Amino acid sequence: MAQGRKGTLNYRCPRCLMREIDMDMLYDRDKGEYYCLRCSFTGDEQEVLRLNAQFRAKYRDRMKRITDY
Amino acid sequence: MDRFYVTIIHRPEMVPEYIQKDAEAGRQEDLTRSSVIQESLDIFRTQQQTAHDNGLRTTIQMTYASLFNEEAVAIAREHQATYGDEIGSTFLGLQCQEFRDQFKSKELAIWLFSIEDKKRIVDEVLGRFHQVFGFYPTSTGSYYMDAELINYIKQQYPMIKVAVATCWEEGPKAYWNANNSWYTFLDGGPWNPWIPSKRNIHCPASDDEDDIGIVAIPHLSRDLMAVFDGPGSYYGTHPQNILRGMVYEDREIPYFRNIVDQYRSMVKYNRGYAYNMMFVGPGWMSKTGRWEADYDFLLKSYQDGMAYYGQLKEQGKAQDVTMSEFADIYRLDRAYTRPECTLWQDILYGSQRQQFWYVDPWLRLCLDMNQGGAMIDLRPYAAKLVRPCGVGTKYLQDASYPFLVQSLYRAGYFTHYAGEGAVKSCRFSHGDEAVDLCACRTRASFSEEGDTRIVTLDPVDIEFTDFAISVQSVFRFAEGTGEIEIVRHVLDTTGPDAEVTIDEYLTGCYGTTEYPEDLTGVRLSLEGASGTEAIEYAYRCHEAEMPGITLVEAVVPQVDTRLSMRSDADEASGYFREGFAFSPMYTIGIKKTVRGEGELRTWLKVEKAG
Repeated sequence: MAQGRKGTLNYRCPRCLMREIDMDMLYDRDKGEYYCLRCSFTGDEQEVLRLNAQFRAKYRDRMKRITDY
Repeated sequence: MDRFYVTIIHRPEMVPEYIQKDAEAGRQEDLTRSSVIQESLDIFRTQQQTAHDNGLRTTIQMTYASLFNEEAVAIAREHQATYGDEIGSTFLGLQCQEFRDQFKSKELAIWLFSIEDKKRIVDEVLGRFHQVFGFYPTSTGSYYMDAELINYIKQQYPMIKVAVATCWEEGPKAYWNANNSWYTFLDGGPWNPWIPSKRNIHCPASDDEDDIGIVAIPHLSRDLMAVFDGPGSYYGTHPQNILRGMVYEDREIPYFRNIVDQYRSMVKYNRGYAYNMMFVGPGWMSKTGRWEADYDFLLKSYQDGMAYYGQLKEQGKAQDVTMSEFADIYRLDRAYTRPECTLWQDILYGSQRQQFWYVDPWLRLCLDMNQGGAMIDLRPYAAKLVRPCGVGTKYLQDASYPFLVQSLYRAGYFTHYAGEGAVKSCRFSHGDEAVDLCACRTRASFSEEGDTRIVTLDPVDIEFTDFAISVQSVFRFAEGTGEIEIVRHVLDTTGPDAEVTIDEYLTGCYGTTEYPEDLTGVRLSLEGASGTEAIEYAYRCHEAEMPGITLVEAVVPQVDTRLSMRSDADEASGYFREGFAFSPMYTIGIKKTVRGEGELRTWLKVEKAG
C-alpha cells in the first residue's frame, strides 16, 4: 500500500463532517482515493464533492440575503 | 442616534499553527523556517491593505514572535503613523525560537500556563513590547484570559484598558469539532463586549469594586443560534470560519453580511448600541488553501467581508474604532447593571426560529421560542465563581463558566426512555392530560418599560380532549434585581368551566460539559404557610409538595448558587423533586389551578449562596 499523503486541497472527511468533526483525510495516489483515519470513509474527489454538497444542503438560507431584522 | 462599532484586528503571527503544520508535513518541526515566516508576513500585509483599501483602521496585535521581526515592527509603526491604526499586544502567537529558548515550553495557550509562568510571560511579552516600541500597549488579548491573569496585568500594567478575553461558546463543541484536540473550554460568557468581574472573567462586574479594570471583547461576533448547537469556528464574522462551515455556494457568502446585519440590528435591544469584531489570524489564509478552499477563495472571502464593513462606514452606518478607542466609548455610558439583550433569529437553516439571549451581572440565559420560550441555558453569574485555570489549578483546561441549565448538553425537554432533562418551562394539565410549552412553537417580540426589558411571546393554542386554551407567556427583566418575572396567562378557553393546572418548573443540574456531575448535597426546600420542608440530594427520588407556598429553593453548593422561585398567588402550591442516578436532575416548581381564564405569575431569582 502507498504512503498516505495530503491531497492538493485538505479535504476533510465528508462523513465525519456530517457529524461536525473536522477530520483531514489522507490521499492514496495508487488508488486515486481519499481515506479517513477515523470513520473508514474512502472515495475519490467526485464522491467527496458530492457529499460536501449534501452537507451544505442543511443551510437552506445559505444563498439568501436577509435584511429584515 | 444608533451606533454600530466595528473593530478590525490583525496579528502578525510569525508561526501560525495551521501553516506551520502544513509546512511540517513529512518534515521535522522548525520554528525558524523562513518560508513560513515570510508567507505569514505576506498574509498580514495583505489583510492590512484590504482594511485600508476599504477605509478601515485596524488594531495590530503584535505577537511575541513578531516583536523579533524587524519587518513586522516596521509595518506596524508605518501603519500607525499613516492610517491611525493602534499597536496592541496579544498573547496568541507566543511560540517562536526565542520563546522556546527562554520558557522551555511548547504550550501555546496563555491561560493554560501556571500562574507563575503566566506572570513571567506577561512581564517578558510586555517588557519586550516596551523595548521595541518605547511604550506599553493599551490593548491585549488571547482566545481566553482568566481573571487571575487580567488582575495581574492590571496590577503591573494599569494602562491596559481592553482585551480579547473569550471566544463565545467555544467549549466542548469546539473540542469535538477538532477531533478532540482543541483545548478551548470557554463556554458561558457574553457574546458582546462587557466589563468583567475581578472574580471571574465570564461574569459582568456588579459595581465599581467588582470591576476588573478592562473592557472585554469576545473573539469574533458569533451566530448565536448556530454556534450554540454547532462548532464556533463555522459561524461568525470570520469569513474563513464560514468557509470551514461550508456556508457558501459558487464562491458567494451572503451569510457573512446577514450576520453583520443581525448584529447591527441589536441597536433595537441595547439602547442604540451594536458591535462587531473581525479577527482573522494569518494561518486562516494560507497560500496553499484551507478548508476545501483555494487561496483565491480565501482572499476573496476576506476582501468581500472587509468591503461590506467599508461600505457601511461610507454610508455612515458603521464606525471603525480601534480596541482602545472602543473601550473608552463603551465605558462612557455603561451602567454596570445594564443588560445586553438580543432576540436572535435563524439566518441559516430557514426555520424562522428565534432565541432570546440575555446577560447581566446576575445571570446569562437563553429562551428558545421553538420550545414555547423554554429557558435552555442559565448561568449563575451572581455566584461570581473564582475558577482559575491552567496548570496547577483544580479545573486546568476547563475554563467554562458552569451552567444550571443547558438543554443541549443535558437533554432538555426530550429525553430517551426515562428521566428528565435540564430546562425551565411550564406545563398545563387537565385531568390526566398534560401539555408542556416546550412542544408549542411560537415567536416573540421585545419591548422596554423604563428599566424593565420585556419579552412577549405570541399566544399558543393548547388542545385537551374536550376543550382548548390560548396561552401567552411574558418574561420581564427588571434591571438590577437578578430576578425574572414570568407570567403564564390563559387568555382564552373553549371550556370556561374546565380547570387547568399551570405548573411553572425548572429542572436543573450543574456542570460545564455534557457529562453529569455529582448532585449529592444539593439542598431542595419549600417554605409556606404550613412551615418548611427540605432535603439534601441523595438520588432517592424524594418528592414534596406544599400548599400556600411562599418560596421554593434549590441551593447548589458545588456552584455556590441559590435558585429560588416565588409567586404572588395565595392559592399556589410549591414542590420539589429529587432525581435518581439515571436522571441526575432536580426540579423545583410552583403550581396553580385556574378555571377558565387566569394566570400564574412567578419570579425566578439567581443569587450567590455563600
